[in-house]
Order: sequence, then C-alpha cells, then structure tokens
Amino acid sequence: MRVIVWLARSAMVTFYPRSEQFPGIEDMPLDEYIARFRRECAPIIWAGFVLGTLLFHITPLFTVFVPLPAFWLSAETRDRHAQRLAAHPIYYVRQPVFLLKMIAGLLWGADPKVRAALGLPPYPADPGTWRKS
Amino acid sequence: MTHIAFREEDLALEVDYVVVGSGAGGATAANALARGGATVALIEAGPWRDPADYPSSTYGAMRDVFDDWGVGISRGRALWPIVQASCVGGTTVINCAICVRTPEDVMVGWERDLGVGGKAFRDAIWKHQDKLEVELCAEVVPAAAAGRSNLLAAKGAAAVPYDGHPMTRYVKGCVGSGQCLQGCKQLKKQSLNLQFIPEVMALGGTVLSCAPAERILLEGRRAVGVTGRFREPVTRRKGGRFTVRARKGVVVAASVTRTAPLLAASGVKHPRMGFGFRAHPGTGVIGVYDEDVDMNVGATQGWASVQYRIDPGMKIETLSIPPEMIASRLAGAGKELVARMGEYRRMAMWVVAVRAEAVGRVKRGFFGEVSVEYGFAQPDIERLRKGLALLARTHFAAGARKVLPGIYGLPYELGPDQIGLIENGPLDPRAYILISSHLFGGTTMDKDPARGVCDEYGRVHGYERLVVADASVIPTTLGVNPQHTIMALARTFAEHLLDA
Ligand SMILES: Cc1cc2nc3c(=O)[nH]c(=O)nc-3n(C[C@H](O)[C@H](O)[C@H](O)COP(=O)(O)OP(=O)(O)OC[C@H]3O[C@@H](n4cnc5c(N)ncnc54)[C@H](O)[C@@H]3O)c2cc1C
Ligand code: SF4
Repeated sequence: MRVIVWLARSAMVTFYPRSEQFPGIEDMPLDEYIARFRRECAPIIWAGFVLGTLLFHITPLFTVFVPLPAFWLSAETRDRHAQRLAAHPIYYVRQPVFLLKMIAGLLWGADPKVRAALGLPPYPADPGTWRKS
Repeated sequence: MTHIAFREEDLALEVDYVVVGSGAGGATAANALARGGATVALIEAGPWRDPADYPSSTYGAMRDVFDDWGVGISRGRALWPIVQASCVGGTTVINCAICVRTPEDVMVGWERDLGVGGKAFRDAIWKHQDKLEVELCAEVVPAAAAGRSNLLAAKGAAAVPYDGHPMTRYVKGCVGSGQCLQGCKQLKKQSLNLQFIPEVMALGGTVLSCAPAERILLEGRRAVGVTGRFREPVTRRKGGRFTVRARKGVVVAASVTRTAPLLAASGVKHPRMGFGFRAHPGTGVIGVYDEDVDMNVGATQGWASVQYRIDPGMKIETLSIPPEMIASRLAGAGKELVARMGEYRRMAMWVVAVRAEAVGRVKRGFFGEVSVEYGFAQPDIERLRKGLALLARTHFAAGARKVLPGIYGLPYELGPDQIGLIENGPLDPRAYILISSHLFGGTTMDKDPARGVCDEYGRVHGYERLVVADASVIPTTLGVNPQHTIMALARTFAEHLLDA
C-alpha cells in the first residue's frame, strides 16, 4: 500500500505543481488526503484511482518515448508526460487518468491557499455529521 | 414524531403504507398519504443530513450526499457519470430546485402512444403543480441573487437572439450563495428533507434513515412490506434488520437506477423491468471574459432557455461550478493546467442538456452496484453539437474573449470564428464528458401490461398494492427539469391509492 500511496503522490504532484500564482498540491496535506480518500471512498473509485496511478507511471515510453517509469523522469519530462497522457488517444487510458486528475483536483482546488489565490474565502469544514435520532 | 437512524437492534413495524426512498417522488407520496390520514413509514437508504451537516466542498458532497460517491455510470461506447443523491430528501437536497411544469405535448404523447392519461389526468397533474408551487414557494430568481454568469447568459441569448428566462425554483429568498449542489445551508432551497418529510412525521409517520431496503415482501402477487438492514453511513457496516409490514400498500420510489433492480431482486417479474431508461445527458462550454465573472456568486443555476426543447431537442442552462471541479474539467495537466486555472474568476460555464433519443437499460451490476447500459446514437451527438455551438455563440454574443469547448480532439480554446469546429465536432461519444442527472424510466407506465411495467397510477401490472412513484415511471424524456413532474405524479398516485 505504501508504494501505491507514494506513486499516487508523485502523479498528483505532477498534475498540480507549484506555480507563480498557486501553491502546488505538494504544499497541501497530501498523504493525509490519500489515506482519508482511501478510507472514505467507494472501493470501485479507489480501484480506478490505483489504475490511473499505475498507468501514469508505466506509460512514459508511449508518451515521451523514454523507457523509464514516470517517477524516474526529470520534472520537466514528467510534466510533458502528464500533458500527453491526459490527452491520450486511447479512451480507456484517458479515463482512469482523468479520475486521478479529478481526485487530485478535489483537494487542490478546494485548498484554502488556492481559494485565497483566487480571491475566494476558505470553505468551512465538511462536518460529515448526520441526524442520529 | 419518529425518526429512527442506524441501529444495531432489529426493528419491526406495521403501518398502512411503506414508502421506499425519500426523494422527489417518495417524500411527496409519503406526504400525500400521511395528509390523507394513513400511517406511513418512509424508508431511506442514506442518512438524514440537516443543513448544519451539509458539506461545503465537492469532496464532502461526493462523500456525504451523493449516491455511492457519484460512481454510477452509464455504459455505452462512452462511460458517463450519473449523479444522484442518497440522503433523506434524496436528490432534492443537491439539485437546483428548478421548477418547470410538465409540458402538454409530453402528456398528449403519453396518451396517444401509450394510452396513459387523458385530459383529466393532465388537469390533475397541473392542479397538483399549482399547489406544489405555492407549498414549496416557487419563485423567480431574485435580481439581487442572479449573479454575473446568469446575467451574461441572458445578454448573450438576447443578442444571438433566442428566448430565455430567469429560472423559477422552489427557493424562498435565494441569497445567491452558489452552493445548491452541496445543499443549501442558507435554508432557502425547499428540499424535501425540510418540507414534506417533517410534515409526515408531524402527522404520525415514521422515518427510517440509513435503511436501504433489500427486498419488497410479497405474498403471492401482493406486496405486504419491506425488509433490509440498517447501514452505517461512514463505515457501511451493517446493523440490525428492519421489517416494515404494510397493511394497505408498498410504494417504491428509490430512483431510476435503484427501483427496477430492487423490484427485480424482490422477485417482481416483468419482461420490461429495467428497460426504457432515458436521460437528458449534459455538458458545458466555458466562456472566458475580460473581466471577472465570479460564477460562484449568484444562484447556481439562474437562467435557462427552452426554445429548442422540441427542435432539435435540448435545454440550455447556466451552471456554476467551483474551482475544484473546474480543475479536472479543463484539459491538460501540470504547469499548463495550473496556468489555465488562473482564469477561473473570468470563466462562466453554461450547459446543454440533450433531450436524447437513446434508450437504455438499468440492471443490478455484478457486485450489486448500479449498472446502466446506455449510449448516444448519431442524432443525439448532432443535437449535442448544435447545443454546444449555440452555447459558444451565446458566450461570444455576451462578450467572451474565447471559449473552452472541452471536446477531445478540438483545440483547448476557440475564438469566435472557430465555432464551426464545434458544429462539425467528433461524432464519437467518447470525445465528450457528459453527466446525466435527469433520468427517466426502468419501470415505465403503459396501459398495455406487455409494454410497460406500471399503469397510469404507478401500479405494477399483475401485482396488488405495489406502486412505483418516482422518475422510473416516466416513459419519455420531458425536455425540461423533471422534479415538478415527478412530484405531481407521486401525489396523483398516492391520492389514487387513498381513494382505492
Ligand atoms: C445535481 C442535480 C441537479 C438537479 N437539478 C434539478 C432541478 O433543478 N430541477 C429538477 O426538476 N430536477 C433536477 N434534478 C433532477 C431531480 O433532482 C431528480 O430527477 C429527482 O430528484 C428524482 O426523483 P426520484 O424520486 O426519482 O429520486 P431521488 O430524488 O433520487 O430519490 C431517491 C431516493 O431513494 C433512496 N433509495 C435508493 N435505493 C433505496 C433503497 N433500496 N432503500 C431505501 N431508499 C433507497 C435514495 O437514497 C434517494 O434518497 C437534478 C439532479 C441532480 C443530480
Ligand atoms: S444559490 Fe445558495 S441561497 Fe440560493 S438556493 Fe442555492 S444554495 Fe441556497
């Protein structure tokens, strides 16, 4: 499991890197998010997320023509790989990668620092509560 | 007032009517039965979340109120998400409460083609809708809550030109917080967890939440109750068994994706069970403007056009979505994607909901999950392309600098002289990401028992005291938002049950 989390982290950091305007997903509690997501999400989504992560790491040969897993690429080549993968011509490659990007985006786009950079107030916490009686 | 949430102990109850599912159809049916003096148990698979419990982020919404994280998908050549809620109040908690009366041509078509209804039926539906509009405070979006995205859409449509209007919604005094999809924490939206369901309890009814029904109990061909096991909403751990016996009838309103599989799993047999699935799948075009639009400010959906409902068959609407959803909607990855997100505040997103000809099938999947077989044929893609091109044109007429079509194979951004690329866009459905939120069918109404599962009062053909009262009975698309129709049908069916 640790390996999957490590690989997922590396893929998510590639999708949402730091920029002049925004913090990167690496500046957010990413490990905690992945653990929480795994605990809370429907098993089928977790399976799709893992598939997206694995595809991300094993496909650089077909995108940037380098026979290495994505985590061994330079940051620049990995960025190019992510861009090409997100627009991959094979639908069943694109879809799990889209899921990975979406799940990363749910954390990144809702982060208070990103919202502040967009001039938006932070979200209040999601209470996760319900009526018990 | 009785509400029973997750519990470890078994529970047995006896009532006049048991209603499965507390969304638009179920809550309305339960309410009408309770008002008619019957004792009612309303059984809901999801938890009861009050406005103080509502999430704020999209992650929280997917976790807390969406049905199974929104992972329902329709499978055809393309895989498209189906979004519904699972909580007390059903999808009315996360919808935009847009209130549109059932079009006459739709009901005339039901009468002509399926032998369902007639003038008296139509009048009854509209009479119920008159009352529902008063009870649920249907109101045109107030100017102060319109928000710039909605105002720009109105301006663009007037310039193209085509007709449009500020929406009427079951919302009392909207303050334009743009959070309808997470539940209205401002207590303005009249979702049914706040409206009809408390009244059911005040009238002596019982609500079971965290209580997915597993089976309708049958004695021969007569429905006599419902059973299932409580489910803890976070861990999904199973609790005690509940069994609710119904002296007078069982009403099933578990949604289009859940009702037919539940009936089938209960041994209700009909050759058309699960067939006739239809939808209004939709997607949007983002316009990027020179100045801030701040689509997150204002009514989540505040303006619409029904001019093209019949020809070619589509509805145009505004829809604001938060940055965390735009982050995956924009094409690209890495540095490029993050740079694109810098334009968020200048974006406005408007959508086309296609009144699709396609017909599919709802089944229980291998692991008990929702399984929908459904795919667009060429005429539907053509409608979609027309709708997307119209949205692009509307954006430019409203002053957009560029549009982001979100179509695989097309450039990321297009200028006003490139709309033809959308009009002649790919015919392959896999080039588009559509979401279905208006669903119909699975146990459709038809006078002929061989062609439809239910009759015009939602009664399952060949069974006694078994009624379906949700969007599953609707035999065609409507071309408008369905909640008003679902509620009016549910009220009609419930009153018919009481009369019987
Ligand atoms: C994001 C979104 C926005 C929308 N906006 C609008 C709008 O503005 N206007 C409009 O008219 N329509 C809108 N719709 C559509 C509308 O909300 C639905 O068509 C309508 O709510 C469907 O009603 P229903 O009763 O069929 O099902 P639902 O409202 O979905 O209710 C079904 C309920 O049954 C429960 N259930 C399922 N299985 C079981 C079981 N086994 N046991 C017990 N309970 C069960 C579910 O948990 C759910 O709570 C929107 C939909 C979405 C997703
Ligand atoms: S826009 Fe805000 S205030 Fe208005 S109904 Fe939606 S959530 Fe409530």
